[in-house]
Amino acid sequence: MKMIVLVGVNHKTAPVAVREKIFSGCGQKSDLLSALKAIEGVEEVLYLSTCNRVEIVASVSDDVRALRALKAFLAQSGDLTATEAQSCLYEYRGGEAVRHLFRVAASLDSMVMGEAQILGQVKDAYREALEKYATGVVLNRLMHCSFRAAKRVRSETGIATNPVSVSHAAVELAKKIFGSLDGKKILLIGAGEMAELTGMQLIEKGAQSMIIVNRSLAQAELLAEKFHGEAAALDALEKKLIEADIVISSTGAPDFIVTADMLKKIHHQRKNRLLFLIDIAVPRDIAPAASELENVYLYNIDNLQDIVDENINARRREAVKAEKIVDEEVEKFIGWQKELDSVPTIVSLRNKAGDIVREELEKASGWMRNLKKEDQERIEGLIHAIVNKVLHAPVTVLKEESSDISSRDIVAAVRRLFRLD
Amino acid sequence: MTFSSLEWIAFHAALVLGAFSTMGYLSSLLVKRVKLAKISTWILAAAFVFLTVKFLFVFIRSSWFFNLDSQDFLAFCAWAGCAVYLSLQFKTKTRVLGAFISPLILLFLIAAAGEEAGKSLWPQNLQSSLTAVHLFLTIFGEVLFVMASLAGLMFVMQNRLLKSRKFSGTSRLLPSLNDLDRINHMGLLWGFPIVSAGIIAGVIFAELSWKTGWMTDPKIVWTFAAWITYGFLLHQRLAIGWKGYRMAVMSGVALILLALSYCGVKLCFSTLHNFI
Repeated sequence: MKMIVLVGVNHKTAPVAVREKIFSGCGQKSDLLSALKAIEGVEEVLYLSTCNRVEIVASVSDDVRALRALKAFLAQSGDLTATEAQSCLYEYRGGEAVRHLFRVAASLDSMVMGEAQILGQVKDAYREALEKYATGVVLNRLMHCSFRAAKRVRSETGIATNPVSVSHAAVELAKKIFGSLDGKKILLIGAGEMAELTGMQLIEKGAQSMIIVNRSLAQAELLAEKFHGEAAALDALEKKLIEADIVISSTGAPDFIVTADMLKKIHHQRKNRLLFLIDIAVPRDIAPAASELENVYLYNIDNLQDIVDENINARRREAVKAEKIVDEEVEKFIGWQKELDSVPTIVSLRNKAGDIVREELEKASGWMRNLKKEDQERIEGLIHAIVNKVLHAPVTVLKEESSDISSRDIVAAVRRLFRLD
Repeated sequence: MTFSSLEWIAFHAALVLGAFSTMGYLSSLLVKRVKLAKISTWILAAAFVFLTVKFLFVFIRSSWFFNLDSQDFLAFCAWAGCAVYLSLQFKTKTRVLGAFISPLILLFLIAAAGEEAGKSLWPQNLQSSLTAVHLFLTIFGEVLFVMASLAGLMFVMQNRLLKSRKFSGTSRLLPSLNDLDRINHMGLLWGFPIVSAGIIAGVIFAELSWKTGWMTDPKIVWTFAAWITYGFLLHQRLAIGWKGYRMAVMSGVALILLALSYCGVKLCFSTLHNFI
């Protein structure tokens, strides 16, 4: 009986240094999948590697030997010590391996739960295995089931709906204020990394242009070149605030740079347009009193972090639903796999019946020759119908009972009764 | 099959579809599924088509004259609601608004189903093309005003949630501030000229038939106050540049005046518009 096994390391079991070693060790092998398939007992194989995990999924005939060999392969590739291999590598077999793979594809095992990239990476790994003819009936089915589980988790739960990074939370808020970000102008005050990242994401979502205001004009120009935006010195801040729709501030200034009075002064020039202020500087750059102004929405780093924390909790709550979906899909796959065990017996049974029919028709060919062609065909049709009806019950029982623990006894009984071995 | 039985079928089909659409919209809020709201929008569009068919039969029945009975009047309010909401859907994707509008449309349809059919809405002395135009335009324009005010109320809710940084389920469900402000803008921009044209038709009719006395009618005074308020808001928006929160709050105030011009006046006074 074929069994699915999985070995690997991930961000929970191994530090980045160990993951790196295995990743580059495996990457150096010219024909990795062929090397894995050459391992004794391994019939089908798939290799998955992302920045947070390296895993091998295989369909094997001897799970104990194959698992030992696959673990040794990973340890050797990463040049791991015995202790490292012992503590970092994990192994799953049967239903647990299936569940682990489904959880990985559905992003339940990711560092950022619900992130979207992992499914693409699993699909890429499968595509590569397909191209190298490393997978077969079992792994093909397993991978398609994992994609279905992941798709169901994404569409039936809210695991991926709420952003879990500060920059994404800021983008979501901007969308709640402006709807579409098309044509919106971003004003970056200071040139912090986080502000730059948030600005970049806003541009990706359709914001029109970026103005960078910085104490050092040279640095502002450097950043402006990167974003094809406009650079200005800090003295021009008030003028630039008139044009802006979204302001991201991240300077190291000890006092407030944007005050409520400043915003009140330019209120009319801005024609009452909505203004979204994101203050990710510590100490803060924008006076808290600004949030009391009409059509002005101010969020500081703590406010954004609170949203992120709430979203993480929401994802955890959704993960409970997601685990149930994974359980359902694992059960379906295991059912199919068990059914697969009874397939050779069903095929043998049908072949045997077919052989008997053929032999008996040959024997009867002497007297049947005297009959009309239509009558000969009718008799043959009748014989096939009778055989199919007789076989219908045992074949149905074999299929239905295949998911039951006693299926092996039934398969053995059928093989003995019909002398199939 | 007679026109009246075809009209009956079209109206009741619209009623059933309106009920399904409302259930769909409210369920979409509960289960937070956009797809359900999308389906509900299509169901509402189907209800709108059936109501349009019904009014086509009404026109044919009354020899291409806008002669409504009490049932038709309430059904017409529902039809105008559907028309305005569905056309807004083309401009902005704010399906959650449907969860607020579709129950109102359904209420009008249920009320219409309870009314006696066949009895003319207007007394004999008020039946003229001018009153028909007056009714058609004022109802249609006022539905646009209601839509502008509802968007304003939703703006106030969303504004409060975003200001207090409670970015939770309700805030996610409500449309963006900009979209709501746009609906408010469109409601005023289209509603005001339509209502104005309706009022002009009414004034001409009143001047021709009654000559004096109609200007002090409580219904006319209150409606005029609501019309002036919405006109003031449109002026502030276009000329002064009011936007966002202030517009939203003032639209709420204008809605109160508009509601009083219907319900308050009907309960407290006897007016020339008693038939509505």
